[in-house]
Amino acid sequence: MSFLRLREELLALFSLGVAEPFPEPAFNELALQVLRFQAEANPAYRGFMARRGVEADAVSRWEDIPFLPARAFKSVALVSGDPGDFERVFRTSGTTRGRQMRGEHFVRDLALYRESLLPNFQAHLLPEGVPMPILCLLPSPDALPDSSLSFMMGEVARAFGTGLDGAVDMDGPMACGGGGVGSAGGYGGGFFVHPEHGLDIRGFREALAKAGPGPVLLAGTAFAFVQWLELAEEEGWRVSLPEGSRVMETGGYKGRTRALSREDFYRRLIGAFGIPGGHIVNEYGMTELLSQFYEPVLAREGRDGESSGEGEGESDPGAQGIRGRNGAGVGTGRFHRGPPWVRTRVLDPRTLEEVPEGELGLLAHLDLANLGSVAGILTEDLGRRVPGGFQLVGRSRGAEPRGCSLALEAFLAALEEGS
Amino acid sequence: MNPLRAWRFPPEFPLADGDIVSLHDPPAPPLEHPVLAEDRLRDLMAMLRTARDELLVDLPVERVVRAVDRVACRLLDPGDELRKRALEELGPHAGLSDPMAETILDRMAFDWTRERLLGLLTSEFPDPQVLDGFRPGTRGCMVRALGFPLTFHLGSGTVPGVSVTSLVRALLVKSAVLLKPGRGDVTLPVVFASGLHEEDPDLARSVAVAYWPGREGGQVESAVRKADLVVVYGGDDTVRWVRERLPPATSLRVYRHRLGVGLVGRGGLGGDAPSTAREAARAVALFDQRGCVSPHVLFVEEGGATDPGGWAGLLAGALQELEETLPSGHLTEDEGALLQQLRGLGELEEGTGRGAVYHGGPRAPWTVLFTPGGRLEPSCLNRTVRVIPVGDLAEALADMEAWRPYLQTVGVVGLGGRKEEVAEALTRLGVSRITSLKALPWPPPWWHHDGEGPLRALVRWTDVEPAGP
Repeated sequence: MSFLRLREELLALFSLGVAEPFPEPAFNELALQVLRFQAEANPAYRGFMARRGVEADAVSRWEDIPFLPARAFKSVALVSGDPGDFERVFRTSGTTRGRQMRGEHFVRDLALYRESLLPNFQAHLLPEGVPMPILCLLPSPDALPDSSLSFMMGEVARAFGTGLDGAVDMDGPMACGGGGVGSAGGYGGGFFVHPEHGLDIRGFREALAKAGPGPVLLAGTAFAFVQWLELAEEEGWRVSLPEGSRVMETGGYKGRTRALSREDFYRRLIGAFGIPGGHIVNEYGMTELLSQFYEPVLAREGRDGESSGEGEGESDPGAQGIRGRNGAGVGTGRFHRGPPWVRTRVLDPRTLEEVPEGELGLLAHLDLANLGSVAGILTEDLGRRVPGGFQLVGRSRGAEPRGCSLALEAFLAALEEGS
Repeated sequence: MNPLRAWRFPPEFPLADGDIVSLHDPPAPPLEHPVLAEDRLRDLMAMLRTARDELLVDLPVERVVRAVDRVACRLLDPGDELRKRALEELGPHAGLSDPMAETILDRMAFDWTRERLLGLLTSEFPDPQVLDGFRPGTRGCMVRALGFPLTFHLGSGTVPGVSVTSLVRALLVKSAVLLKPGRGDVTLPVVFASGLHEEDPDLARSVAVAYWPGREGGQVESAVRKADLVVVYGGDDTVRWVRERLPPATSLRVYRHRLGVGLVGRGGLGGDAPSTAREAARAVALFDQRGCVSPHVLFVEEGGATDPGGWAGLLAGALQELEETLPSGHLTEDEGALLQQLRGLGELEEGTGRGAVYHGGPRAPWTVLFTPGGRLEPSCLNRTVRVIPVGDLAEALADMEAWRPYLQTVGVVGLGGRKEEVAEALTRLGVSRITSLKALPWPPPWWHHDGEGPLRALVRWTDVEPAGP
């Protein structure tokens, strides 16, 4: 099937939203069509399949689709189609010693990204369907056009954001609270990180001060939040965001070496913003995949917790607020789930065999939104399959030094730390 | 198996309730380790210092050699309980297979025997008795060499024996030793120190071995602050951490992580190509590639009877064979994660006509990446090696330039008449050891470890000058 026909089919699927599961036989059928298209249109992936001894036509189960390592995005352009025919290149972060270390995801068709990310975001961060101001601790998509995360939040803000006063159709100077950091243009709350100068502290403080009476959504990288928290704690800045406010944090799983545990991090977010722990959602995404994974903590609340009135501890974020409603605590028990057009396998890191539920393994995602590149991606992230999704354990640290031989990952980590 | 008791203190140092806690970090077997409060660590270090000043400093070096040799011989004696204990615990705690653990123990313990130690002493000091008292030096001076009173050795990783070698070196120059080995190298220092207590209790009073996880919590920092010399085996991150805490008057010796390289000249690619490949495979496989000497990349010259691609295939075959005699150890999830990325990348490259990848599949981690146009870079370890073809070895030397601070051992074969020329070029790149692929895994005790004399790096000299004119 052609790219255009598959694209239409996928867009139709995305428009159904994420609430209803995609039945296995239909998913399988579509996944195999995507595989056959990609095997045909993507010479690099075709070569990979040939080396694995897999013929697209002979594959009958999506689980047998060859999963390409995520690092392949650092080595070759993975366009399924005319190599020159793409709308945008998203790049992973990180360069080392002048060597090309950034992965590049050539996106043939931004509509596939936009239309897949919006329903999933809405279901997990805005399940009530009420627009609100969205303040991003991220560079704006205009300032950092090759960041897939900035692009995503730009689209989200455009679709669901309001001005700080709650006005839905903001397009004026208020639209960007970033004091010049973001650019104007209908993004709602604003972007408060400059790609070079870092956090826009003043802009973000002002925006926080203006929040209310309705709820706001804060979104950003764990790294940026931690920067903010350190500053806010030093200065004694605390805000109590309007009831119903929420936080989406992401990117905090790059290495379990993160100095801060997740529990500490969430406790500090709760303290600094006065929101319950159950209103903090981790987003797990990667440049190499156009779809995202979220913890369904708010989504559950939006659907079935609304009228229960079980808001225990919500007004005291310090003590009990660490647990949100419906037992959505900040630590154990949380899990991630993807949208219906994504399936995740958990594989033994030594054998690449599927591991039983609950056991640690490598996450391999089949994301049909990746129609224009490669759908099956083997990550370096470790997790466990649980009912409803998977628990993310973290980004592999690679070969942490176990001896006195220089190990690739340890070397790169040391360089980053030292620079 | 009972939990490994990951410490050995002098008998005078009483253990209190609560000093010892359990640790179980599967797949490693459980162990018990001490958690010493600040004042207890201070007492321990003071005790070591006293034992050194009152006993060790007056013992002749010959006696140290004798004691170490006796322990080494027991570790080599198949009937001895000490060896049995070592072998029972070594593999599981280091994450190495039992045959690998035994091979390593045999070679390491051999280097702690009398003949090898005397070789080390005479290589370092023309007159080793300079460690016992003043001896005539040059120009009429009387000279004496003595180690620092109290040394703290911070080990890392899972190459068994590295910590014991560090301990033995310090004892030879009459330094007391507090040793914190890496998690995977706990067994041998504890067993060795136990043997030392049995063979020469007086000498052993200057030795304490204690493992505890991590470096936070203040104990490592306290030890760094109270020692006279700190010896660190570790990555750049560890070294930076120690340097930041080192008092200005305290000496530091650093053995950093290294990037081993092999150079296979076209002279080694004739009829002997299979044996060259077997030697290279063994060098990669030993220590599961975690040694500082372990090669990460093999540059192979074109124009020989066997082309580099064909040689990479021979290497793969040899690595597969070694799985029978010297099986791989346990791969962690993190290591597996990276390995699968590299294998997948290799398959992508081979599938698109750039190079080839050979690997042990789900059963064995060994992986050979034949990478035309590839560059020198660290491997993910556990027997993953890159074979890079070069038109001339000069290209390899140029590529090594960027890794200068990480170079140490280079294994060479088939250089023909270019041996001296290549050795000189490698020297200028900062390489401190050039050897055959066959000998690569086992530097002799007297090697210039990272370019320094292993004992001379640990002593201070005193000169008594001749009376004036």
